[in-house]
This record gives sequence, structure tokens and C-alpha cells, in this order.
Amino acid sequence: MKEKPATVFVVDDDDAVRTSLRLLLKSVGLPVETFASAQEFLDGFDAERAGCLVLDIRMPGMSGLELQQRLNDIHAIVPIVFITGHGDVPMAVEAMQHGAVDFIQKPFRDQDLIDRINQALEKDGDNRSGLKERDAIRRRMQQLTPREREVLDLVTKGKANKVIAGDLNVSQRTVEIHRARVMEKMGASSLAHLVRMVIEAERAT
Amino acid sequence: MAGGRPADDTPDRAPVTPVPLSVKLANELRALLDAAVDGVVVIDHQSRIETFNAAAERLFGYSSAEVIGQHINMLMPEPYRTGHDRYMSTYQATGKARIIGIGREVTAQRRDGSVFPASLAVGEIPGSDPKRFVGFIHDISTRKAATEALRRERDRAQSYLDLAQVMLVAIDSAGMITLINRKGCEILGYTEAELVGGDWFEQCVPDNQRAAARAALQGAMHGGGRALDYTEDEVRTRDGQLKLIAWHTNRVYDEHGHAIGVLGSGEDVTERRRGEQALRRSEQLLRSAQSIAKLGNFELHEPGGAAFWSQQVYDIFGLDPRAGPLELTRFGRDSVHPDDRDRFQREWRRALDETGKFDLEYRILRPDASTREVHTLAQILPSNDGQSLVITGTFHDVTDRKLADEEMRQGQERLAHVARLSTMGEMATGLAHEINQPLTAIATYAQAAVRLMDRAGGADPAELREVLVQITAQALRAGEVIRRLRVFVKNRTAHTETLDMNRLIEDLRVLAEPDARVNDVRLTLDLAPSVAAVAADPVQIQQVLLNLIRNAIDAMLEAPGAPREVVVRTATVGEEVEVAVIDRAGGIPPEVAAHLFNPFYTTKAAGTGLGLAISRSIIRAHRGTLGHRPTPGGGTTFYFTLPHVPGGL
Repeated sequence: MKEKPATVFVVDDDDAVRTSLRLLLKSVGLPVETFASAQEFLDGFDAERAGCLVLDIRMPGMSGLELQQRLNDIHAIVPIVFITGHGDVPMAVEAMQHGAVDFIQKPFRDQDLIDRINQALEKDGDNRSGLKERDAIRRRMQQLTPREREVLDLVTKGKANKVIAGDLNVSQRTVEIHRARVMEKMGASSLAHLVRMVIEAERAT
Repeated sequence: MAGGRPADDTPDRAPVTPVPLSVKLANELRALLDAAVDGVVVIDHQSRIETFNAAAERLFGYSSAEVIGQHINMLMPEPYRTGHDRYMSTYQATGKARIIGIGREVTAQRRDGSVFPASLAVGEIPGSDPKRFVGFIHDISTRKAATEALRRERDRAQSYLDLAQVMLVAIDSAGMITLINRKGCEILGYTEAELVGGDWFEQCVPDNQRAAARAALQGAMHGGGRALDYTEDEVRTRDGQLKLIAWHTNRVYDEHGHAIGVLGSGEDVTERRRGEQALRRSEQLLRSAQSIAKLGNFELHEPGGAAFWSQQVYDIFGLDPRAGPLELTRFGRDSVHPDDRDRFQREWRRALDETGKFDLEYRILRPDASTREVHTLAQILPSNDGQSLVITGTFHDVTDRKLADEEMRQGQERLAHVARLSTMGEMATGLAHEINQPLTAIATYAQAAVRLMDRAGGADPAELREVLVQITAQALRAGEVIRRLRVFVKNRTAHTETLDMNRLIEDLRVLAEPDARVNDVRLTLDLAPSVAAVAADPVQIQQVLLNLIRNAIDAMLEAPGAPREVVVRTATVGEEVEVAVIDRAGGIPPEVAAHLFNPFYTTKAAGTGLGLAISRSIIRAHRGTLGHRPTPGGGTTFYFTLPHVPGGL
């Protein structure tokens, strides 16, 4: 599966602002898609696509803040750079509290915007690679037998083999065999590695 | 007067021929009797005539022979005839005399039966027994006639005096009334008898004027010249009233040319003076009323030119009353301001030829080159004979009122301006945003262009050109917002235009929409396909609309969950265009509705409370109404109406 390059999604109800942004971002070689409303963006939203959102905070209908809320609701991780007018600082603060990468006031220096966009794209990349690793760990965890899963839980809680054998009412030897299978299936090089993988897998996305 | 007494010896008796004394006495008596001018008749106790002298013969037309021995009553007409006998018998029986020694006027009868007035003196002849009487009869016809003539003359004079409708009073030098006519009595309330012989000053002059009046009389008596001539003085009537008398007074002289008194003819002018005073007072009142109101009236006959101007008209026009009213053509040429002359003439023509009414405000030019605003109202009616037109009317100096109106208008404009600024202040966020958008686009386009040009191989000229076109468009867009903003907030003089309300609302969108947008409210225009034209000041109407839209937006902000939409709807309702601003917010609580249009009443933290009050006064000034009603399904609809312009756009 060939991944699309990270895209800058621009949502602004003002035609001129939208078009000029597209031109600017194209001029620095960024792939751009523009949307005239939050709803339009939401309708075509694909969580799998890498990129970032450049979002006008004030829009008729669904505002930028509302779109942010909706994306959070569906656990979308696309980083958002808000563009705001003068006097929209309170809204910007709210946006930041809800996880926005940054905001920039209109009109802006192109480099400031581009820097923020790059920052957002980088964050998206990080998110997405972290997400990939988590997915791999989870897939591996799903290959464990129920008994192996039990052993994993107890091992990562720091219990000794002897204690685990007692808890599961099996021989210590059996515990050792299960443990070796878990390490093997999870691809863990050490107990510490295994623990880190479990923590990563349990992280909310 | 001769009697029957014997005469004494006379010293010139002739000694040569002695005549017996008795004969001599009888002859002398005869001669005396006949020489007497009065008739002398002697009667005996039975009233028989014994002696009848020559004068008696002449008086009665009888010869003595005819009457001697006859009864005296033949010389009397009835009723004296019978009265005589009764009198004689009474006298003889009682001795009571009513004539003897007294004399009286009687009526005597001549032989031919005619009668004449006579005075009769009767004496009893002394020593006679039985008693004999001598009567002296004097014809008093002439004297009677003269007396009668005098009396008639006097009566006539009196009647003249009485006929005179003036009071005539003569007083002597001491102030005693010697004559007063009926009118005088009437005025003073006394009878003639009560006045004549009385003291004029005591009786008829008020106390406080008495001394002066007396002094004036003395002056008139002793001074020279034409006495008192004409004066006006008060008299006091019997019932204490004071009456004002206009006197013409002259001195009265005796036969030696000495002043013995004055004769005054006086006219009671109390009522007239009172009337004159009332008239003067009402004229003064009218004049001061005209002066205060700066309203003069006029009358004009056309043709003919006879004209009247009240004093105030002269005052208004700054003209000299002595020169009299200006004739119409000169008025139009000299007094009407040159700029208004055509209009004045045109309206005047129209009034004369068509309407019969003149109603015009125009400027006038005064001789001192100042100008005033005058309102003339006049009506034109044919004269009674139908030969000319009578134009009556008023000139009203409305300069001050115009100035006051102008000041008030300016005051209202200033207030409206403040309100507009305040509305704009409330809309500032939206408007700043609205200007910021094109600025952002311009900046972004320009920076993009720079980056395109910096690229290896440079920019595609066609692409650059497109960017520049976009930049231009956005600059113009920002400029347009600023231009409309400027028109809206500029301090300006109101003026009326014929407006298409739909178009006005479309134009307003540039200002109204940003405000809606920043508040996340959708502004929807629901305009009737065509509405009739209205005559209005565009900025003031936009001000009202913006104010209503702002209020609607504010109402939405306070009603979370309500549909965030404000609809502006136009419709034709009867002869009016209605513009409605409809919100779906919470409606107006009754306690707020009661004060909604009060100036300085506001429910907004930063509101001035002027918006609705001024909006309503603006709409009223346009002869429209502004009100509100609930929106069906919730919310409030504010609306205003403006009358159609006949003829349209």
C-alpha cells in the first residue's frame, strides 16, 4: 500500500484567504487541499491520511473550534494550526487547551505559518509512527494464548516465576516455558523491553 | 292813583269869574276821569254803574249813556259774571274782601262780546252808605301778549337747551349754578331744582378735584383770553359715580362787559373714552401679540392697490410705515429675495389663477441687506362689487423658528451620528475581521508570489499576473468596506432620496454580515421580488436596519440553542414598504418591552440605550412606524414601515 504524502488541509470560508494560502503552500512544495467549510472537510475526512489542518477559527455554520471538538470526539489525531483574527485570543487559548499545535494571527508572515505547518506535520509523523508501533505490539499481543496473556500480565507486574506458578496453580517450569514463548512472540529482548511494549499498547490513542 | 277824595283848594284859582265850588269840583273830577288812561267805573251797592269814563268807553266799546244804571256784570264774560254777584253778596255779608285794595287780573267783555285781559283794582268809596265802589280797569292784552311771547321764547330756548345732547351749565363767578339743561340733569342725576342755585363745585365736582376746579374758574373770571376753552374733567353724579365730561367753556358777560360767570357745554365722554381706551388697549394687545408672534397681517385690493399693512409687517420687512405698503410688483421686486423671486411669482400666479390660496415660505431682503425667512398665508376673494380681488393674509417671520428647527435637526443628526458611531463600535470586531480578510489574502498572495519568483526557474508570468489581479481585487474589497464604513460614520447632513429598499439592504450587507459572522450568526436576506420606492435618507435607514440587526444578533448570543439566524425581509403592506428583522431568540420580557424605546434604557453592558430611541425617531421623521411583534415559533420581529413614493423610482 502506497501512502499518500502528508497533506496540508486548509479550511477557511473566505475564498481569497483560502486560495492565497493554497498558492503560498504550493509555492513551498507542500501538498494542499482546501475546504470552504468545516462540514466539507469533515465529510471527506480520512483518519488514515497524514498531514495537518490549517483551520480558520471563525466560520459560519460549524466553527473551527467545533470542528476541533468533533475530530477529538472521533480520536482523530490530525494536528491543527488555527488561524485567527485580531481579538480572538480567548478562542485561541481554548483551542490550545484542546490540543491545537499552535495558532497564528491574520495577516501573517509566510515563514511563521510555514514553520508552524512543518511543526504540525512533524508531530503528525511522530504520532503516526508511534501509532504504527503500538499497532504492531497489539497485533503480537493478540497472538498470545490466554494462558500466555495471563503470564504476561503477571510478569509485567514484576512477579517472580515461583509466585506466578502459585497464582496460576501450575509448576514453576510451566511458567518458565510460557514466559519464554511470550518473550519470543512479543519480540522482546528483555523484561524491560516487554514492560515498555505493554505500557505503549495500553496507551490511549 | 285818583280816588274819590275831594281835592284841596288850588292856588291858581281865577279871581275874576267865580264859579261855585261844587261845579268846579265836578268839572275837575270829570276832566280827571276822562284824562285817565285806565277805565274808571263807579258802581253802587247793587253793582249798578254810576260812572263810566272815556277810557272805559274806549275799552268796552259802550258809551257811558249805554251803561249808566246797568249791572256791572255786563262787562264780564261767564264765569266771572255769576262769580261777581256771589262775591259781592259774600263781601257785604261778611266784609271779607278778596279784591279790595289788592287788585287782580280778570277777563273783561266788550260790547261786541270779545274779551280781553285786564287788571282790576277796586276801592271802596269812603263814607258812602250804602257802599259804593270804584274800579280801575287796565287793558293788559299787550302786556300779556309780551309776557306770553317772552315765556314762549324762554320755553323755546329751554327746549333748545333740553334738546341739545350736551350738558349746558351756567355758573356765576361764585360757582353757583344759574342754569342747567335737561341733559345736564340727566347726566348728574339731579332735578333742575336741586341744582339751580346750588354750588357747582360742592355738588358736582369730585372732592379731590374741587380746589383745582375752583381755581380754574377764578382764573377764567379774572384772566384774559378765551377762558377755559376745551377741557376734560370728571363730575360726580348724585349716586357718586364719576363721569368724564368734555367741556367747551366760555365766559358770560353782563351788559357792561364784565365777566359774571361761565357757560359750559359738556359732553359725557365716559363711555366713548372707555371705548376708545378699550379699542386702544385691544389695538395695543393686537400689536404686541403680532410683535411677539412676529406675525403681521395685510389686506390688498388688486387691481386698485389699496392696501393695509399692520405695523408688524413693516417691522418684519424693515420698512418705514410712513411710506405705506409696497404695491405688489414692487414688493416682489424689492422685498422678495432674488433667489426666491421666481418661486414667489409662480406661486402668486397660481394663487391668483387657480387656487385662490397662497401659502409659501420664502426669504425676504430687507433694506439693511439682512435676510429673513417669511411664511405668507393669504386668501384671495372677489370684492363685494366683483370688480377686483381682495387679498387678505399674514406675514409670519419664521426665521427664528427655522433656526430653531435647524438647530434641533442638527442636534438630532449629531445624536444619530453618535448612535451610528456607537453601533459601529459594537460592530467593530466584525468589521475589523472583514477588513482583515482581504489584507490577509493580499499579504499571503504577495508572499506566495515572492516565493514563486525565488524558485529555481522563476515564476510563471501568467501565474504571477493572476496573483496580482487577485491582490488588486482584495485591496478594492478592503477599500469598499472602509468606504461604506466612512459613509456610515461620517458626520453628515440628512438628505432624502428615492430609494429601492431591497438594494439598500443588499448594500448594507457589507457592513452587517461581518458582525453576524463573527458572532456565528447567519444573516439571511429574504427580499420581496420588487417593493415600491420610498423617499428616505439612505444612511439613516441603514442606521435603523443595522441597529435592529445588531440587537437581533445580541439577542441570539443570550439565547444559546436558538437557531443562529437573522432574517431581513421586505414586503409591501398596503401603501407601505415593511422591513422586518426577524430573530429566533428568546423574545422580549414584558418589563423590558415597556422601556424599549426610552432613551438611555439598555439591557446591554456596553449599550448607550440610544439605538432604538433614535431609530424610532428616524422612522417617525420619515412618516413611518417602528415596532415589534413576536416571531411565530419564538423570537422577536422588529419592523419598520415607510410610505410609498407616488411615481416610484
